[in-house]
Amino acid sequence: MPIITVYINGQKILTESGVTILEVCKANNIPMLTLCHLKGLHDIGACRLCLVEIEGVNRLLSGCTTQVADNMIIRTDTDRIKRYQRITVELFFAERNHVCAVCVANGNCELQQAGYAVGLDHIRYPFLYPECNVDTSHPWFVMDHNRCIMCTRCVRVCTQVEGAGNWGVMNRGHDVRIISDFNTPWGESITCTDCGKCVHACPTGAIWPKAVAQGQLTKYPEMIGELVEKRKLLQ
Amino acid sequence: MGRKLLLEKAHVEGIRYYDVYRREGGYRSVEKALKSMTPDEVTEEVKKSGLRGRGGAGFPTGMKWSFLAKPEGVPRYLVVNADESEPGTFKDRYLMEFIPHILIEGIITSSYALGANSAYIYIRGEYAWIPDILEQAIAEAKNNGWLGKNILGTGYNLEVYVQRGGGAYICGEETALIESLEGKRGNPRIKPPFPAVKGLWDCPTVVNNVETIAAVVPIINNGGDDYAKIGVGRSTGTKLMSACGNINKPGVYEIDMTISVEEFIFSDEYCGGIANGKRLKACIPGGSSVPILPANLLLKTAKGEQRMMHYEGLSDGGFATGSMMGSGGFIVLDEDQCIVKHTYTLARFYRHESCGQCSPCREGTGWMEKILWRLENGQGKLSDIDLLVDIQSKIEGNTICPLGDAAAWPVAAAIRHFRDEFEWHVNNPKECLQRNYGLAHYADPIHVPTPA
Repeated sequence: MPIITVYINGQKILTESGVTILEVCKANNIPMLTLCHLKGLHDIGACRLCLVEIEGVNRLLSGCTTQVADNMIIRTDTDRIKRYQRITVELFFAERNHVCAVCVANGNCELQQAGYAVGLDHIRYPFLYPECNVDTSHPWFVMDHNRCIMCTRCVRVCTQVEGAGNWGVMNRGHDVRIISDFNTPWGESITCTDCGKCVHACPTGAIWPKAVAQGQLTKYPEMIGELVEKRKLLQ
Repeated sequence: MGRKLLLEKAHVEGIRYYDVYRREGGYRSVEKALKSMTPDEVTEEVKKSGLRGRGGAGFPTGMKWSFLAKPEGVPRYLVVNADESEPGTFKDRYLMEFIPHILIEGIITSSYALGANSAYIYIRGEYAWIPDILEQAIAEAKNNGWLGKNILGTGYNLEVYVQRGGGAYICGEETALIESLEGKRGNPRIKPPFPAVKGLWDCPTVVNNVETIAAVVPIINNGGDDYAKIGVGRSTGTKLMSACGNINKPGVYEIDMTISVEEFIFSDEYCGGIANGKRLKACIPGGSSVPILPANLLLKTAKGEQRMMHYEGLSDGGFATGSMMGSGGFIVLDEDQCIVKHTYTLARFYRHESCGQCSPCREGTGWMEKILWRLENGQGKLSDIDLLVDIQSKIEGNTICPLGDAAAWPVAAAIRHFRDEFEWHVNNPKECLQRNYGLAHYADPIHVPTPA
């Protein structure tokens, strides 16, 4: 791979070509907010938190899906981006019923961390309070749709890493829901292998193991990326 | 009387059937292209014509075709986008319903130019009766040797398939359409790679609108130069406009892009004026997702010149004082229409049709609808108007596909041009439920607010 030069926030960085802006930022300790990105899964650029400004491009592009090019001038810390990130996180909180105080993932939640990172002190939008189910039919795990942010990391880990294809998406717009099989209770799923990868992939407290109390959930999302790397070695 | 190319034979009895269509000179372009031209010559002719995509974006078709990757041993596809879901647009429906053979003819010629051996027509599910018409037309064409193996003895093979959609607006976006055609959930893909490199089943694909493909027929018949002579500047050829709203003669009209907006609305040849003797208040000139224009900016540009009905004319002044040609859905609102209610209706549509993949659009469209509902029902605050502007700027340009832009533009434009109407709704919560803030002054260049 040829080595190219990119400039991120004025910092000159030498990097391999063919990698994404997000990977370059991670390697150089430049903070970048992400929610739908998880190492080991295909990026879909859905959460739009990793938006970056690129000189010469009018639109903001998502850092996780845009590959670096030679002499690209990238900014990740402008006021425009910060404002958009704040609105996005605010809308995430207003979209469903996120109550950190009673959540198993309290203190270990990527959405919560994103809220701290953008300096969220209040939410300007009234909450929507949609009616969401809590699926406790699985013997070990719980799916709580109130805390889901539709990053589809569980859907992707189930199809791309585990290969089971238990999770899917139904409906459109605000009404999108993660479903198990054809919208059957998770416990009755015939495809689920009970592997628990989705539990670790979930950035919030939407999927969690039973017998975990408030604030006690620990997750290990890096496991997915490591697993994918190990499998590559085996091939 | 403007020149007509697509709808020239529309009123011939039985033009829907092969025999009549052939008698009226149909399938001449296929004969000409396959027998006397190479695929590159056909593409060159389309490039010369200056034909621009009729689906909304207005991208030059010849250029799009020439971007198509042509690796060895990989099939290429032509996909016809008949998922005409834009509120206010119904031109493709008219073409497919009454002159289906012009579409089939255009598909054969275009596929020949692109080197595609399979073409798909992706038609929206709500047009439940049109797939039968298209299937019949395809069967007739096949029986007469225009489709199938070894067409006209030239060794060129082509099959055309009709695929019905499930009724989602998002499937009109080319990458979502391709996903849906592959049998998946219609979520747009990240671009690049563009469909011209990796499209249907990861093969190079061209996605074109029905009208664009149909326009290839007169281009090949009369030559690209002849086509380029019609119209003004970079807006060449004829354009189908589907006019609806408060006008005397709603319907599909073919314009040659040399007339003015005023002529189009008020002349008897086209819309025939505003219905019931009312006055013109506003108009959406290109389908629901393009910015709305008040009457004074619609008839005259900001410079005081007459606004013309073509791509450049309608977008004159940018988004500040202009709009877009879009897909040609011409929606006219008279003085009795409430802009807030109208904007709310559009916002509700986009909330319902957002695919839910990326967050700004999924959440933002819902929020815009909710805030507009509050304004419309007299529960809004003045700060809500700025909140709307804030949300729409968050959506615009930050989403994976253009649906986010399409949802944001109408709201932004409505607030830009009709802010006092929104404020009136906030300040008169009871009255706004009973009557409209009829702003006759929008037709007047001098800005004097006078409630009706």
